[in-house]
Amino acid sequence: MSEPALQLDEVRKIYRSGEDVVVALDHASLSVARDELVALVGPSGSGKTTLLSIAGALLEPTEGRVVVSGTDLTGLSSKQRTSFRGQEIGFVFQAVNLVPFLTARENLLVVAEMNGTLDGDTKVRADRLLDELGLGERSGNQPGALSGGERQRVAIGRALMNEPRLVLFDEPTSSLDTQLGEQVMELIRGNVKERGVGGIMVTHDARMTHHADRTIEIVDGRLDVPA
Amino acid sequence: MLLASREILRAKVRFGLLAGAVGLLVFLILFQQALLGGLVTSFIGAVDNQDAPVLVFNEQARRNVEGSFLRDDQVEAVRGVAGVAAAEPIGEATYTVEAGGELVDGVLFGYPLDGPGLGAPTSLTEGRLPTAPGEAVASAADEAEGFAIGDVVRVVGDGGPEIEIVGRGEDLRWSVAPTMFVDFSTFEQAQLAANPEATAVLPSLVAVRPADGVDLDVLTDRIDESVDGVEALTNDEAVSSSPGVSAVNQSFRIILALAFGVVTLVVAFFFLILTVQKAKPLTLLRAVGAPVGYLVGNLVAQIVVVMLVGIVIGIGLVLLTGSLTTGGAIEVQLEPGTVVPTVAGLTVLALVGGLAAVRRVLRIEPIRATVDTGSELA
Amino acid sequence: MRVAIRELVRRPGRFSVVGGALVVLVLLLLFLGGLLDGLYLNSTGAVRALDADAVVFSDDARRSFLRSEISPDLAETVASVEGVERVGGLGFALLGVRIPGEEDVADGAVVGYELGSSELPEPPAPGETYADRQLAEDGAAVGDELLVGPAQVSLTIVGFVDDTNYLQQAGLWVEPGTWRRVLAENRPDALVADGAFQSLVVRIDGADAAEVRDRIDEATGGTDTLSDDGAIGAIPGISEQNATFTAVIGVTVVVAGLVVALFFALLTLERLGLYAVLKAFGGSSRTLVLGVIVQAVVVAVTAFVMGGALTVGLLQVVPGEIPLQLEPSRAVSTLVSVTIAAVVGGLVSLRRIVRIDPASAIGTGV
Repeated sequence: MSEPALQLDEVRKIYRSGEDVVVALDHASLSVARDELVALVGPSGSGKTTLLSIAGALLEPTEGRVVVSGTDLTGLSSKQRTSFRGQEIGFVFQAVNLVPFLTARENLLVVAEMNGTLDGDTKVRADRLLDELGLGERSGNQPGALSGGERQRVAIGRALMNEPRLVLFDEPTSSLDTQLGEQVMELIRGNVKERGVGGIMVTHDARMTHHADRTIEIVDGRLDVPA
Repeated sequence: MLLASREILRAKVRFGLLAGAVGLLVFLILFQQALLGGLVTSFIGAVDNQDAPVLVFNEQARRNVEGSFLRDDQVEAVRGVAGVAAAEPIGEATYTVEAGGELVDGVLFGYPLDGPGLGAPTSLTEGRLPTAPGEAVASAADEAEGFAIGDVVRVVGDGGPEIEIVGRGEDLRWSVAPTMFVDFSTFEQAQLAANPEATAVLPSLVAVRPADGVDLDVLTDRIDESVDGVEALTNDEAVSSSPGVSAVNQSFRIILALAFGVVTLVVAFFFLILTVQKAKPLTLLRAVGAPVGYLVGNLVAQIVVVMLVGIVIGIGLVLLTGSLTTGGAIEVQLEPGTVVPTVAGLTVLALVGGLAAVRRVLRIEPIRATVDTGSELA
Repeated sequence: MRVAIRELVRRPGRFSVVGGALVVLVLLLLFLGGLLDGLYLNSTGAVRALDADAVVFSDDARRSFLRSEISPDLAETVASVEGVERVGGLGFALLGVRIPGEEDVADGAVVGYELGSSELPEPPAPGETYADRQLAEDGAAVGDELLVGPAQVSLTIVGFVDDTNYLQQAGLWVEPGTWRRVLAENRPDALVADGAFQSLVVRIDGADAAEVRDRIDEATGGTDTLSDDGAIGAIPGISEQNATFTAVIGVTVVVAGLVVALFFALLTLERLGLYAVLKAFGGSSRTLVLGVIVQAVVVAVTAFVMGGALTVGLLQVVPGEIPLQLEPSRAVSTLVSVTIAAVVGGLVSLRRIVRIDPASAIGTGV
């Protein structure tokens, strides 16, 4: 049994503003296996965004340990975390995913370009991903010329480009109709399984949670089902 | 104008940046005007600010004071022209003078004191006009160089006159040199001292005061026709025809026009882009019943506010620069006469530039609010 | 970096504000520079054409070409100073010139000289003159008999020379006797003594110029000897024009930089969301800032090219009497200063970009 994609141990996140103390995450412990898709549901303000941010090395916890694919994130500098994200974590955000003036293919290649690691292998990988996602014909289009479902697929492709161990999805189907949503979820689930990638999906879309291996509820910063 | 003010307050940085850019450009324009205007004045201020409405040149002089000189019979002939109430000779030349312990350039404008005093400086700010030979009104800008009231300067040369400064006037320089208005006899003395071999001292110009009710252009034409070898100009014509001045002024106008162009462009594009970005909320407002005039009015109000703030910033910067440079080699001073038309003109241009955005607002179709445009990307 | 260029190429519209403003600012700078250079060249041509290593004025003349006077004895003393190779007299007379067949009187500067130079042929015969090309543009031709001054002294053009004007008046180069005649008949009040000149042109034979200049003044006891740059700077109005225009140009460059800064700040503001996402994906602040600077430089250079083309076009339609001259050195300095201003302007967004928190890319709050 290989190490989990994500391991959270007693993670707490506390925000202080003046006299107020907000406990965004309270003793959260979670383990996500390498080919497991976990759905995280909860009302607004429940802390799911905070958890996602911490898991994605975007935010440091106040207490507790975060281990992604065997690497302990505690104490990493901002630069180190940036670099780690670029290599090991994939994101599919809710609002902004794609660079509007880059084609689908270029969007997949953008992070490698920025880090100067773009080479022939990267391009081959990008083209393969685009094919697998059914976007082979559309790879030269900019987001403005792609449908909502196609855009989401490009976003997923981009998230998988750096061959991450963990992919985080923030409301991946909220702007899609049921049929498209189903298609996208099947794609996500398929990729998680085939590539041995751990996936956490934050969603409030009840139609889609059945695609996940597990559904975890989060209320007021507390996880309902411990790892 | 609720919408306009709310939007500005909500996006303070954005509008602040634009107002800042406008302010800088306003500063640039006013700065250029002040400096370039000051440069021109230091060339021709003396003639601009003397009291004769008409000046008669040697026809051959190409309207150049330095190149002009007239014979006594020509002076008499001008006096005799109908419509001329008074005509007196004016002598102008540049000399080496000793002032403040140093040798500097000095220009003398000599006019006969024992007469109607035609050709006297009009911008006296301190002291008095000369009443006797050997006294002078000097250009205020050169006060610190030994031309303050009470100072005595001497024209270099055998028999060069000593001149006591008894008055100061603003904008009285000629050819960027310290200038003194003196009695004609002092001018003659200086000429003889500087040119010992000269066989005669000739006046440069004739200053003319027209009789009451006589039109200046009519008079200058009449003088040209009646007197041989002369060209009569009004004071304004004389100033603008000084060699190089008209060319330089034209160039300044082009330069200022370009600067105005930048402001218009910047404001126009900014508001156009802003309007395009707000297409959705604007469409929504039109759909729920906001009249077009209201939206346009808000846009205009925003433009005016941005211009006002920018103008205040620009003027503030000029005043700041002015306080830092007073007394220095380069003076930056604001003149209400130029500032007011300039900022008014800029505001008008900005509104003209805003027309592009207005057009965009007018083209909004309320029905589009009901069309689902899908998810928004950055 | 390539991402930044792609944005420029595919979304040029969003750079149109800063680009348009820069184009007009470049136009402005080139016009200001062209005017300054034109005024300078047109006023100093005569002195620059002399190939003088030093110019001698009488020390009571405050370095004025017109008011100075050097007697023949003084000239001899100067010629005998060690290091002085050749000495030639110089005299000016500023007068109106009538060109046959033309109505308007042109501005002329009659210059009596003795030494030819790389720009000037040896002095012509009495009554003849080498005229500056400016008079050709006013309608004069070789062989024309010019009438100079109110006394209408006649001078026959035997050739044209270039860039020899004094204070914007066309150079008319004559032998010394002719100059004295022109002066005597037209300006009896400005006559100099027999055989005297107003100033002297000195050529030095390889010795240290500054030393020779000092030696001349010591030997004569009554002269003020300047280098040719010094003589040029002493021409009335030149240093004030330089100072004023340089100040205006400097301020314009600073404003250009600030305008670029403001607009790139605006652009950055609009792209906060995008930058957050790119940072979340692993992009570093450094890469993003570099991208902004690359865009600033490309916009600046493009604006310069467009502004430059516009300037050249406008120069064709500008009326002839405006002394505008576009020098290559001016174009280069304008390009450099605008580019630097753009880079500095782009750098202003540095802090904002560094402060973007990639966590803000996630959804809509806690």
